[in-house]
Amino acid sequence: MAEFTGFRRPDGSVGVRNHVAVIPTSVSASALATRIGADAGERVRATPHQMGADQPTPAREQTERVLAGTGRNPNVGAALLVELGTESIDVEALADRIAASGKPVETLSIREVGGTAAAIEAGTERARSLVGEVEGARRETADAAELVFGVECGGSDATSGIAANPAVGNACDRLVEAGGTASFSETPEFIGAEHILAERCADEATRERLLERVEMRENMAQLMGVDLRGAQPTPGNQEGGLTTIEEKSLGAISKGGTTPVRGMVEYAERLPTGGGLVLMDTPGYDVESVVGKVAGGAQVVAFTTGRGSTTGNPIAPVIKVTGNPKTWERLSNNVDFDASTVISGESLSDVGERLFDLLLEVASGRPTEAEYRRLEEFAINEIQPEELVGLRGEAR
Amino acid sequence: MTPPTGTGTVYDGEPADGTAAFTGYGRADGRIGVRNRLLVLPSVICSHVVADRIAARVPTAVSAPHDHGCAQLGADNDQTARTFTGIGTNPNVAGVLVVGLGCEEIQSDDVAARLADLGVPVRELSIQSEGGSDRTIERGVEEARALLEERRRETAGSLADLTVGIVGSDVQDSTVETADPLVGSFARRVVGAGGRVVVAGTERLSPHAEEAVAAADDAVAEECRKLLERRRRTPARTAGLRRRAAERSFDELSRSWDRLPIRDVLAYGERASHDAGVALVDAPSGFAEAATGLAAAGAQIVVHATAEGIPSGHPIVPVLKVTGDERTYRALSGDIDIDARSASPEAFAERAIGVLDGAESCAERHGLTEFAITRIGPSM
Amino acid sequence: MKGRVLDGCALLMTGRDTVVTALEDLEAVREIALGEGKGPVVLREAVPFGHKVAVERIDAGDHVVKYGEVIGEATERIEPGAWVHTHNCESTRGRGDVRSDGEAVAGGERR
Repeated sequence: MAEFTGFRRPDGSVGVRNHVAVIPTSVSASALATRIGADAGERVRATPHQMGADQPTPAREQTERVLAGTGRNPNVGAALLVELGTESIDVEALADRIAASGKPVETLSIREVGGTAAAIEAGTERARSLVGEVEGARRETADAAELVFGVECGGSDATSGIAANPAVGNACDRLVEAGGTASFSETPEFIGAEHILAERCADEATRERLLERVEMRENMAQLMGVDLRGAQPTPGNQEGGLTTIEEKSLGAISKGGTTPVRGMVEYAERLPTGGGLVLMDTPGYDVESVVGKVAGGAQVVAFTTGRGSTTGNPIAPVIKVTGNPKTWERLSNNVDFDASTVISGESLSDVGERLFDLLLEVASGRPTEAEYRRLEEFAINEIQPEELVGLRGEAR
Repeated sequence: MTPPTGTGTVYDGEPADGTAAFTGYGRADGRIGVRNRLLVLPSVICSHVVADRIAARVPTAVSAPHDHGCAQLGADNDQTARTFTGIGTNPNVAGVLVVGLGCEEIQSDDVAARLADLGVPVRELSIQSEGGSDRTIERGVEEARALLEERRRETAGSLADLTVGIVGSDVQDSTVETADPLVGSFARRVVGAGGRVVVAGTERLSPHAEEAVAAADDAVAEECRKLLERRRRTPARTAGLRRRAAERSFDELSRSWDRLPIRDVLAYGERASHDAGVALVDAPSGFAEAATGLAAAGAQIVVHATAEGIPSGHPIVPVLKVTGDERTYRALSGDIDIDARSASPEAFAERAIGVLDGAESCAERHGLTEFAITRIGPSM
Repeated sequence: MKGRVLDGCALLMTGRDTVVTALEDLEAVREIALGEGKGPVVLREAVPFGHKVAVERIDAGDHVVKYGEVIGEATERIEPGAWVHTHNCESTRGRGDVRSDGEAVAGGERR
């Protein structure tokens, strides 16, 4: 039986890290959260973002879903929510959503404690005290079935579709076989390959939802009155040999493996444990997409890259996988796994097995290159006002 | 009000018109910076942590982390690229190190080339060509240090040399009744001396397009009308702000620039080029996004009227926080530069000139900055 | 790896594909044996690692096929051995520029 060791949380979920998260409710408290994260010690992770204090309702609800999900992620042992104090997000309600998982949650209002200087002091103190509450936790053995594995690709080139994505896909198949959940997203990168995914959907509702979401993303190009080719594939994708979005997508979907698609959740919506392969509707923009899956509960992320992306995440370890031998050589400090051996003849099954083993090791505490370097990008996908009117049919 | 903490010196050889003056850093194009920042500019979100690390190791360096640079469509791409050029040419910026990842839509070498064409000392690196984050940080620190130049604050300027940015992030009573009129008095003083004022917040003016167009010069009236109509068709980025603004009169909403005529209308990220007077910048009212738009327009200082007391500063421009709200001032006195309930126009100008001269604003003192670029539509 | 490696230097993902992927930087005039009774293709130009080479003639407007699927269509006639990329192959998807003007998508077909 495949196993790892992790931190059992009060709600039964298992974290692969034991962080204290410092989560701002708006851009007005973000710099403060970063500062507290830097001052309060190694275990503390800030999630600064640029969402305004008074977003339109659908955008605000999405922000709340991301923030609550981030705090609820099993890798977070305790959370400190920071606000200016005038945000439309109700910080206590947000704290309740996180505390429902049984972990300690505190809040801090810059206005209530008397300004920035006082908030740095009080916030650092509260974060340190939360560290004190979680640092006694010990790893225990857990079944791989308790893992939710998020899969991402970024800075793709032709090797992504040939080597790195199929290797990660093979690891996903192994995890699903072991009873776990694998999730991939980036809906714009289904364009041109959606018919293949649709055939793999386990039920009609999932199939319809998938096709509807792909169409919505494709319509964004029309909304902006532009050719999608202005954004996809990117200049780096093209230099790496990818000519069209269809080609990129056909390579991208192989990172989810070959098992049936069990469902498709919203951006940052909770991913089921023991759920098989589940899609999430996210943009293709890597950082926002990874944040969505981690908010959905992914404890570990694999991120394939041909050109060499270096981004990580504050809450979940990100395993960088490349299928490009030159990138493996040049960016060895930022890449964890070499899948280019697929091109030189190693079987996909062998490479997938090695990667699955690495996944369990990372889950059990082995730090990734991005973790060593504290490369922790965080950004929330903001529903744009134009998007609400143009694509989702909301009233102005 | 908070007494000025800096020297607040009034220029000795006061110009004949009696306008108070400041000393700053003269730039090649004749403009005068009031800070001497080395900007480490990530061309994409993927390189922003690397940019932060470089800036942290180089004196006077600041980074400008943002969420963009890739997966954007059409007008959003153009706007992000334009904003990079705008902030890179801000007079407070002594030089720019552009840091890219390598595969992104907005390529770091293109950004650097545009800035070099405009006479900005610039260097450029990308993570993929350097071979990873560690090497990029090491090389970046070297390149940034090479851009550093010993500069003394020695160029005398009058208010005519200023571009003052103004943003009000709300339309609450205390802002409209108390903070804005005080800010407006300073705007009039600057414009009267031949300087420029750039104002953010087009979403609040969209319900009052007729009056705004009437306040605009003939040459830009049509542009102003089109812009505000476009804004009226677009939902506001801040919930309820436009509704509350619609309940106000144009007179109330134009107090922060004392109802001076609108001489020009600028796209977000565009550099101001009008001779003197007020220009309207197509920026939202949220502080971080607005401040970046104003810095890109060329503002050396930003005045932020806030009833809520939003405390963040900006990496490129010093920010003066002004509130008319009593509870906010009491709760956040260390974050507010000017209590508009008690400050006279003279005291305001004195404090502003002190900060122009190098005194730290409240936000500079605690050192927390926010940088954001607005967007138009969804990213891919 | 899925597919068949040709001459140790190019990958044919499925038998239906009209392009192969270069597994190394390939020089012009290099010959790639296709096997299965087909004659070799001779590269008409240098093709970098990861980029595509046509293994049969693709007429303007015809589909370009990789992974056994349509990845775009030829914007001009592509000869066997030619480099296939954005200069001669374009997407048929996401053409918001064309459709927002009320015109048909270039080339017509959408799945």
